[in-house]
Amino acid sequence: MNKRTKYLAVSTALFSGLLVLGWVTQGTGVVKDDPERNIVIPEELTSELQVKASYDGEKIWFRYRWPVDRPSIFNDVLVYQDGAWEKRGGEALGPNPDFLTEDRVAMMIDDGSVPLFSRYGGYITIGDGLTTFTGTPETDEERTKYLPSTRTDPNDFDTVKPESDLETLRTAGQFIDLWQWRSSRSNPIGLADDGFVAEERGGDTGTGPYTTNWDKATKLPKYMFNPEVAGSTALEINAVIAGDVGFNDTYYLSAETAIPFDPNYAWENGDTIPRRYLRPTDGSRGDVVQPKKARWRNGFWDVTLERDMDTGNPLDDKIFRDGGNYDLAFSVFRNASTMRWHYVTLPVSLGLEQPAQLVAERVEPGTAPNWTQPWTEIKTFYPGQVTWGRLTDARQHPGADRIAARVPVAFRHSEEQLALYGVQMEFATEIKRQWILTLIASLSLIVGLGININMLMRRREDAI
Amino acid sequence: MTHPNNPQNPVTHVGKDNYMKRTQMMRHGRQIGLAAVALSLVATSAALAHSEGGGVALAVEGEAAFSLSPVYHILVAHFPVALWITAYLFILIRTFSDTKFAVQLQKAIWPVAALGTIAGFVTYGLGLTIYQWSAITESPLGRNHIMLATWTLSYWAVMSILGYRFRRHMFDGAQRWITFTLATIGAIVITITGTLGGSLTGTPSLVTKSLNWIGWNVYNTFYLPTWMLGVFFAGAALLVVIGIAGSKRGA
Repeated sequence: MNKRTKYLAVSTALFSGLLVLGWVTQGTGVVKDDPERNIVIPEELTSELQVKASYDGEKIWFRYRWPVDRPSIFNDVLVYQDGAWEKRGGEALGPNPDFLTEDRVAMMIDDGSVPLFSRYGGYITIGDGLTTFTGTPETDEERTKYLPSTRTDPNDFDTVKPESDLETLRTAGQFIDLWQWRSSRSNPIGLADDGFVAEERGGDTGTGPYTTNWDKATKLPKYMFNPEVAGSTALEINAVIAGDVGFNDTYYLSAETAIPFDPNYAWENGDTIPRRYLRPTDGSRGDVVQPKKARWRNGFWDVTLERDMDTGNPLDDKIFRDGGNYDLAFSVFRNASTMRWHYVTLPVSLGLEQPAQLVAERVEPGTAPNWTQPWTEIKTFYPGQVTWGRLTDARQHPGADRIAARVPVAFRHSEEQLALYGVQMEFATEIKRQWILTLIASLSLIVGLGININMLMRRREDAI
Repeated sequence: MTHPNNPQNPVTHVGKDNYMKRTQMMRHGRQIGLAAVALSLVATSAALAHSEGGGVALAVEGEAAFSLSPVYHILVAHFPVALWITAYLFILIRTFSDTKFAVQLQKAIWPVAALGTIAGFVTYGLGLTIYQWSAITESPLGRNHIMLATWTLSYWAVMSILGYRFRRHMFDGAQRWITFTLATIGAIVITITGTLGGSLTGTPSLVTKSLNWIGWNVYNTFYLPTWMLGVFFAGAALLVVIGIAGSKRGA
């Protein structure tokens, strides 16, 4: 091998080596947590949810099962520290390290009245500038998800239509029924929460299963544990955080476990009282209940919710009818996360003894479901900050015309793909810049290789 | 002094050879040009015939003033892929064989590769007309397809130039293994580009999944960390330096 060929071989090896090195290191160095911009990326981007459904003509039941490494049975708490009660837990960016954010499952239901819900699920409810989105200023009032039809400009949260228009939409069925189960704020007393998504995400008329255990005037809790029931007036924060307080302990406040707060008690640093007081529900908001309290076992929450098929509240609830087909979308909150740090599903079709992804089995009237049918396995994924406005804008989404053509999201995107896209959307500017630089750098490498070989490759006559 | 028409005149003989070479090159060039035009016409006609029914049902926010249906790009894309892979096949055969057949194939390598490159430019241009730049560069899969398509086109443009300049000498001695290695890299980037195009239209292949197994989920944007960008730029410069040094020392 002559000298030039040796140089050629070295050059080819160098080029190949750089390609391999590029391959190994690609995709690193940009995506990382940035709390300043409300960006926290979950460790797992996808997970699983198992669902079953049954009905007897009067009632309908949904059973949910999803993996959680450590259950979180507390939400926000009040901790006594140096003479004052401080709020800890509840809302947090990403997972709460103290596990003071409850686990949850939520289900959106539509009967076909909401345009595009059956094809795009919860994506249609994500407007621009919602609470916790990057760049959205903190406001006293939560900017929740909403339906595009409730705004004069669907991409502008503040352009809510007049009340009369909203009533017309509601009467036409343009709202999503929203069931929520909460491990801390509803489960201990065997209840759930019945709400809706329309001009906002809200609760149905009536009373929800919890209220705030805080007296704004005195800046003290309203209730404390009844020592005769709980064994003490408060829990200890370190035990709560360590997970030493469990289902067999008295860990929630309700009429059965609480008494009025005593400010004269000898409180000690670390004494902890739940910031929520649980109470019976009332009215339409109390339509969704649990046949029995849910428990976490062997790494899974196992939750069953129950509701009358016809609640008599057609402006709050989607009414289930035997033989009917419906559209669902689920979200699961795990690993002590809340707000947008949840795992969602694509829309799932429900059939009451009708062909669908999830088929609700009919049982004899008055009998409880036996749950012998197989689970329907549903993939859940972290959605990131992808708004409906972005998805429907051809300047930002190449598939905007497919949405206009009503092509279902599941036809073009898998859950894993959507999770990865959701994360990358949170770093759109940084990744795009790095991608362009990579394009330039790799082109320079190819040009360098071309020059190199052009100079080193020899013709046989050159050697003569 | 020898007569200019005397075939023994070395100067005139060389000039005649050059003239003949130029004529032959121009003929080749015309043939390639005509073939490229014909190829584009056939592709456009076929695309027109199949482009109905892909329209948009509703008005789209921010719709581009001008865009071409993806079918043009998809259809034309088969030409450069087929031509480059054919060139690779010929390189493969020539690398491992010195038979008359292999030598005959070798002569077709650079024209086939060059034709592929011309078709590649047409395909690349058509691809850029499908979506707005602002939109396609928001899509990780779109970015990846553009990245790989750029690599493929530039890489095979380089290969075509080298093939034209060195022809049979690319297979002289140990150089054939250099040619083989470079061509194999070229074949790999074509394959990845093609499968990304398929994924972009909603039909991911086993290649897409295979890439995930070896470290790249194609739904993640391919980008290098900043330090690696520096390494790439340095590597490009080093390749040029090695080329200069090698050509001087090995001259």
